Amino acid sequence: MGGLNTALTVASCALSAQEAAIETVNNNIANATTPGYSREIVDLSSAGSTDNGTGVAIGDGVELDGVTSVRDQLLSLRIQQQTSEQSAVAAQSNALAPVQTYFSGTSGTIGSDLSTFFSSLSALSANPSSTAARQTAIGNAQNLVQQFHATSSGLTSVQTGLDTQIAGDVTTINSLTSRIASLNSQVAAATAQGQDGGSYLDQRSALEQQLAGLTGIAITTTAAGDTVTTSNGSPLVEANESFALSAAKQGSGLLQISDSNGRDITASLTGGDLGGLLQVRDQAIPSFLSQIDSLANGFASAFNSAQASGYDLTGAPGSALFSIPATVSGSAASIGLISADGSALAVSSDGSANSNGNLTTLTGVQNSPLAGGLSPTGSFAALVDSVGNAVSEAATQSTAIQASLTQLTNQQSAVSGVSIDEESSNLIRYQQAYQAAAEVVSTIQSLFSTTINMVSGA
Amino acid sequence: MRVSPNLEPDVLAGMQQSQADLQKALQEVSTGQRVNVPGDDPAASAAMVQNLAESNNNDQYTENASSALGQVQTADSVLTSVVSLLTQAVSLGTEGASSTTTAADRQTIATQIQGILGSVVSEANTSYAGAPLFAGTVDTPTAFTGSPTSGYTYQGNSESNQVQVGDSLQVQVSVPGNVLFTNASGNVLGSLSQLAAALNSGSVAGVGTATSAVTSAIHFISSQHAVFGNSINQLNTQESFLSQEKITLSSEATNLIGVDTATAAENLAQAENQNSAVLAAAAKVLPTSLLDYLK
Repeated sequence: MGGLNTALTVASCALSAQEAAIETVNNNIANATTPGYSREIVDLSSAGSTDNGTGVAIGDGVELDGVTSVRDQLLSLRIQQQTSEQSAVAAQSNALAPVQTYFSGTSGTIGSDLSTFFSSLSALSANPSSTAARQTAIGNAQNLVQQFHATSSGLTSVQTGLDTQIAGDVTTINSLTSRIASLNSQVAAATAQGQDGGSYLDQRSALEQQLAGLTGIAITTTAAGDTVTTSNGSPLVEANESFALSAAKQGSGLLQISDSNGRDITASLTGGDLGGLLQVRDQAIPSFLSQIDSLANGFASAFNSAQASGYDLTGAPGSALFSIPATVSGSAASIGLISADGSALAVSSDGSANSNGNLTTLTGVQNSPLAGGLSPTGSFAALVDSVGNAVSEAATQSTAIQASLTQLTNQQSAVSGVSIDEESSNLIRYQQAYQAAAEVVSTIQSLFSTTINMVSGA
Repeated sequence: MRVSPNLEPDVLAGMQQSQADLQKALQEVSTGQRVNVPGDDPAASAAMVQNLAESNNNDQYTENASSALGQVQTADSVLTSVVSLLTQAVSLGTEGASSTTTAADRQTIATQIQGILGSVVSEANTSYAGAPLFAGTVDTPTAFTGSPTSGYTYQGNSESNQVQVGDSLQVQVSVPGNVLFTNASGNVLGSLSQLAAALNSGSVAGVGTATSAVTSAIHFISSQHAVFGNSINQLNTQESFLSQEKITLSSEATNLIGVDTATAAENLAQAENQNSAVLAAAAKVLPTSLLDYLK
């Protein structure tokens, strides 16, 4: 009798083990498209063996050890890092796109207006006293001044525009960190009960990846959960506590980001969308602005000194045509035209109205090196080059990182992704095993009947 | 080894990439340009800034050259007229110096010489585009004022203008009136006045001297033809250089940012093929599942 009872126990264990396996398959299929879900596998092991009294050891059936998620921590970490980098360059590329418009095309740029101004000056060569020609040249000088203003204010407004996105990023970061903190405590509770905590881990990992897309982060796993810090070490999450970042407008009119201790960490945040936006706002655009300022300042000074070596239409010594501030910084925004009267152009070299002797000095400014070693046209060309390079580098990097990110995601998916085909075939396997175990139970039952009938019949 | 069960991300990435390529190819065909923003090709965009500046200047130099050419040619034709007027004066002077000519005839000839003087001065007062050609750089209505009897005063200065027709090429377009018409080595106005005065006074010797002074003025003016002729040559040469340069600059611009139609069309066709291949592949692989066969 002992033998049959043992056999029945083994069979019912098998039934529940296959049932658990089918439930796991069911859960996997249900979450086949859930972002961040790692497939689960059922851990079965054979349950030792017992001597049934005949000196032969027979196996005790199957044991259900538990259900575990299949994931690769290292891959997740690398995906987080790559996501940070990818988001940063993608943000740069998007943020720089509107900047490009000030530097492209054959009209409506500082370069084209400079060129038009100088060629209209050159027209005075054949006709130095022509009021119309002088007025055209002064009009073009006015256009150039306005283009300096427009480009400078355009770049500044791109900067302030980025602040809207930066504020949005900070809000999202804070909401993500508070959810990560609450998941930390759920994971800790599950682990304390000896469970895998799989779905919490998956959710937390998905949130961490989102967070990595917003800013560069570093994660340390402890018993109390993941400790998350920004790339510069400011705490974001520790155990079940989250630390909010704050963004506030500064004197410059731009947002400053502070950590929970009120420390300014704007300059040290790198990676992620936020890092990319800050890079464009605080480094790329200011560098373009300063190049435009140097160009405006250098050009205006050079032209003013060329004016000084000649005489205007009235025979008076040439006076400065452009007004610029004392410092180079802000020159493009505040460069001005002192006289809108064409007669102010100091074309004459001898004080006579029909002389054009000083014109070559004026037009010579176009191709003479400024303080930076480049001519006005050359300076603008260099600026176009640096804007173009910033954009194309961001785009190239974005493509490259995207490719490696796709590969990593594929790798992760190979490890953790749910394959419907695999689950379907597992389902068939577990179904057959369940059916077989049920068959065993029914066989044992008929053996019991046979035995009982045998006893009662005697 | 387990492979990734999710084909969607790869398929999606492939579709996006081929769509982006298709868009770029389409843009190239429709704009005829390979570079539309600096990010497309930073170096070419920077070079285009220089190219644009140079071609704008080139256009202006071409206009300057044609305007300067008009001015120089007008000045040159003035010299031709003056020479022919002076030649008339010389023959009248020769007649006046003859011993057979009567005093009354000399008076008549003197009046004719004064008429010639007036014509020469009116030639010297020629203006071009509203400005006197022979007043140096002074903006005055006429280069010489006065009358044949009272004498003439030069209103200009001794400066001359050069017109810019290249980055470093300037061509002389004017010679001041005092250099041309009252020059010590061939004083046009002075010799004519002298001749008229000698004829009036009836001095045969004086008329002879004055006539030879007019002759040397002819030689001087003829020699000045060379100055303008030289400028005309320079301007003609520069004009053909500038038109050649214009072609060079525009072909440079095409090389920098343009795309030739054949290549653009080929790129577009290729992008279209690529795109439909990606879509066809997606349609093929996405619906396959084991479940299709478990029936």
